[in-house]
Amino acid sequence: MPNTANLSQGEKKRSMKKRSQTIFLICMLTVPFLQWLIFWLYVNLSSIVLAFQDPRTGALTFENFRLFWEGLTSPYGEIKIAVRNTLIYFATSVVVMMPLSFIIAYFVYKRIRGYKAFRIIFYLPAIVNAVAMVTAYTNFIDPKGPLGAIVKFFGGQMDPEGLLAKPGTATWTIVLYTIWTGFGANMLLFGGAMTRIPVDLLESARLDGIGAWKELTSIILPLVWSTVTTVIIVTLTGIFSASGPILLFGGGAQNETTTVAYWIFAQVYGSGNVGGSGSYNLVSCAGLCFTAVSVPVILGIRKLLERIPTVEY
Amino acid sequence: MANVTVSETSLQQKQTFKKAKENTVLTKRSRGEKALFGIVFTIFVLYGLSLVMPFLYLFVNSFKDGLEYINDLNGGGTLSAPDKWLFGNYLEAFTGMTMIDSMGNEVNLIMMFFNSVWYALVCVFASVAASTLTAYCVSKYKFKLRGFFYGIAIFTMTIPIVSATGAQFKLADTIGIYNTPLYPIIMNFSGFGFNFLVLYGFFSNIPWSYAEAVFIDGGGHGTVFFKIMLPQALPTMLTLGIMSFIGSWNDYQTVLLFLPDFPTLASGIYRIEQSITRGGNYPIYFAGLLISIVPIIVLFSCFSNTIMKNFTVGGLKG
Repeated sequence: MPNTANLSQGEKKRSMKKRSQTIFLICMLTVPFLQWLIFWLYVNLSSIVLAFQDPRTGALTFENFRLFWEGLTSPYGEIKIAVRNTLIYFATSVVVMMPLSFIIAYFVYKRIRGYKAFRIIFYLPAIVNAVAMVTAYTNFIDPKGPLGAIVKFFGGQMDPEGLLAKPGTATWTIVLYTIWTGFGANMLLFGGAMTRIPVDLLESARLDGIGAWKELTSIILPLVWSTVTTVIIVTLTGIFSASGPILLFGGGAQNETTTVAYWIFAQVYGSGNVGGSGSYNLVSCAGLCFTAVSVPVILGIRKLLERIPTVEY
Repeated sequence: MANVTVSETSLQQKQTFKKAKENTVLTKRSRGEKALFGIVFTIFVLYGLSLVMPFLYLFVNSFKDGLEYINDLNGGGTLSAPDKWLFGNYLEAFTGMTMIDSMGNEVNLIMMFFNSVWYALVCVFASVAASTLTAYCVSKYKFKLRGFFYGIAIFTMTIPIVSATGAQFKLADTIGIYNTPLYPIIMNFSGFGFNFLVLYGFFSNIPWSYAEAVFIDGGGHGTVFFKIMLPQALPTMLTLGIMSFIGSWNDYQTVLLFLPDFPTLASGIYRIEQSITRGGNYPIYFAGLLISIVPIIVLFSCFSNTIMKNFTVGGLKG
């Protein structure tokens, strides 16, 4: 008899334990979960609904999609330019900035002279208010500013219009800006991953007579690969949501330099000023279309990246 | 007692040994590499200068008289030192740089500074708190919905939802948080983003045996979380908090869109820049810009080591 009593007491204890755990979990997770339900799930679902609604009557319509398609396909359509620029910015960030910030992180990790100072200075653009950064840059490249003076010094002559006002050079001037300021965040992530590598590994590789390039590509890269893939995926995920500093550059060629995220921002911001009578429907429709295109692409790339085995250490 | 001290000194010795070894391994270079590092060093210096120079330019010109700046601009001498260093420009930036909000009130830089501080703090607190709660539970407890929650986190991170800004705007307007301080609190209390991923990785590495010891002593789940786990997670939370502080401090778009009457330094200075006329007093505007970036630079220099040490993120697999 005492045996069963013991058993049921043990069971009771276990179920009590289970209950207190459940209560604890409910306390911890309810608010974040509700927040997600409302501000992520509901918002996104209602965004899908908005895409099919007439802005004025709220009736079911495909008019938004027609407008979107028009903006995307007509030769001077805003959306077409926005998509083109978004792809340019994205390509720059993956092809140019990511490898460069990886290499910079390597040299900082290998304690190049002054690495502590470089680490902070290179990270400055990521922490300084973009408004200040852009003002500094635009003043610097002004034909009347220092760049103009430099060009003059070498006997050249800058167009008095400035690089940003001309449609031909505006986008590339901004691309240059994003490269100039874009190393910080990734450098930090890559650097953080590198510092976790056990130095014994590098030491034994050195003893085998491995040089800097081999060390970087065949030892460090595989070891921090999981961080690299995460950075690539996150960049890819943000492709249509990152507006770049377009808003701040303003200027004469704004229509020429627009991006998808900026276009969306401008639609909602413009309407916000006149009291919310704006083109949410068109914006939602554009968002839906871009999402539909990019989801399979990203899932595919993620699968591909995961094929490459990561090294556990 | 003696045991503890012995193991502590040996731990210290071990660490200094490890540091010394790191130093030798990471700085040992062949002759060819020395040349390579020399070249890269030169490039780094040039690039670093290019990043610092524009600010020097703003700094020098922020002390000039408005007219002097325009004359210098037309004469191509914007890099020259000011005729007279007008330190008063900074004082005037604080009180004289204003923008008009939708109620017709003038907002000056002091007000914007205040808005920046509370806005950034609120964002930091909400985002770090929420992700700590979710990351801890999902990484440490086996419960039925665990996979579901982890799924949400990975899903929201990797499925690119392109702008639900329109719907967001409508919802904020409907429930009455548009243009109120509630907006950043509620919107940032999100437990499933980048912060989740970092904290999830962190908590997964803390052994659960600590918790079992607490349970044996009769403590509950709350005790484990607040007394054992949170203190260990503080450095990571601090790092995420600083990163999110910097992000919120500089975020002008969200504030422009959803909090138009609470201009922060970032959004307010943007609006001032938009309204500045061709003949406007640029030096004072430059002074305001520099004022807005000083707190961030100070914050970052103080915590740069903590950030570098704790800012790591692993894979997205799960």
